[in-house]
Amino acid sequence: FRFKDSLAEDLRRADLVISHAGAGSCLETLEKRKPLIVVINEKLMNNHQLELAKQLHKDGHVLCCNCSTLVETLQSMDLSTLKPFPPGQPEKFALFLDKVVGFQ
Amino acid sequence: TGGHTTEILRLLSCLSESYSPRHYILADSDKMSEAKIRSFEQKRSETFSDSQFTLDRIPRSREVRQSWTSSVVTTLYSILYSLPLTYKLKPDLILCNGPGTCVPVCISALLLRLLRIKRAIIVYVESICRVETLSLSGKILYYFSDYFIVQWPELKQKYPKSVYLGRIV
Repeated sequence: FRFKDSLAEDLRRADLVISHAGAGSCLETLEKRKPLIVVINEKLMNNHQLELAKQLHKDGHVLCCNCSTLVETLQSMDLSTLKPFPPGQPEKFALFLDKVVGFQ
Repeated sequence: TGGHTTEILRLLSCLSESYSPRHYILADSDKMSEAKIRSFEQKRSETFSDSQFTLDRIPRSREVRQSWTSSVVTTLYSILYSLPLTYKLKPDLILCNGPGTCVPVCISALLLRLLRIKRAIIVYVESICRVETLSLSGKILYYFSDYFIVQWPELKQKYPKSVYLGRIV
């Protein structure tokens, strides 16, 4: 499983995802509307990786825990409290850029 | 690199075909982005028949957590490499998402602007991962880009000259 090209297939079949706080992992999972528990290892992580995980947790999109509290989290979790993550809107960027460049 | 490529391709996804030709610049050490880009452009050419793009590589300016002094040296080396490339391409618009690779390209573009050879519009979109703090590329390019876009409101507050459009990737 080390370095697959894409986890898309596995993600599609999963009912619950437990992941590290990498942005790619988190966002890909949330976009596929899978419940996500983010495990934070403060010793390993850059501070900036933590930023996104914290914000997603604050907004109610993911559950957070650390390695030692994972089991407890799994036992007591209520996934229905998780809020869906709305997709990003690249069309807003396109509109903005058209104005900037003068392609209106 | 990786996540940046995914983000930038998403940013490109809604752009009209007026944004053509597209010139992608990658770090030489980047193994995976080329495939993603080709796949994106392949799909695009199915909708837009005249779709054109190029792909170039420059030396990576900085590894994650590389020391300050060696970073300056490697970045200077990357600038030396990216200056002739940017001169050759003479882009009207430069779009970047924050990997170290974008800094030498933007610096090259600024030099070309100073020398009145070509004036490119520099648009920097900070990565979605950056909620409270800017990346190093962001901190540098906040002052040198024409438009600096952030994706979270807290950054808009901290960096008032930035543009906030919400999440765009």
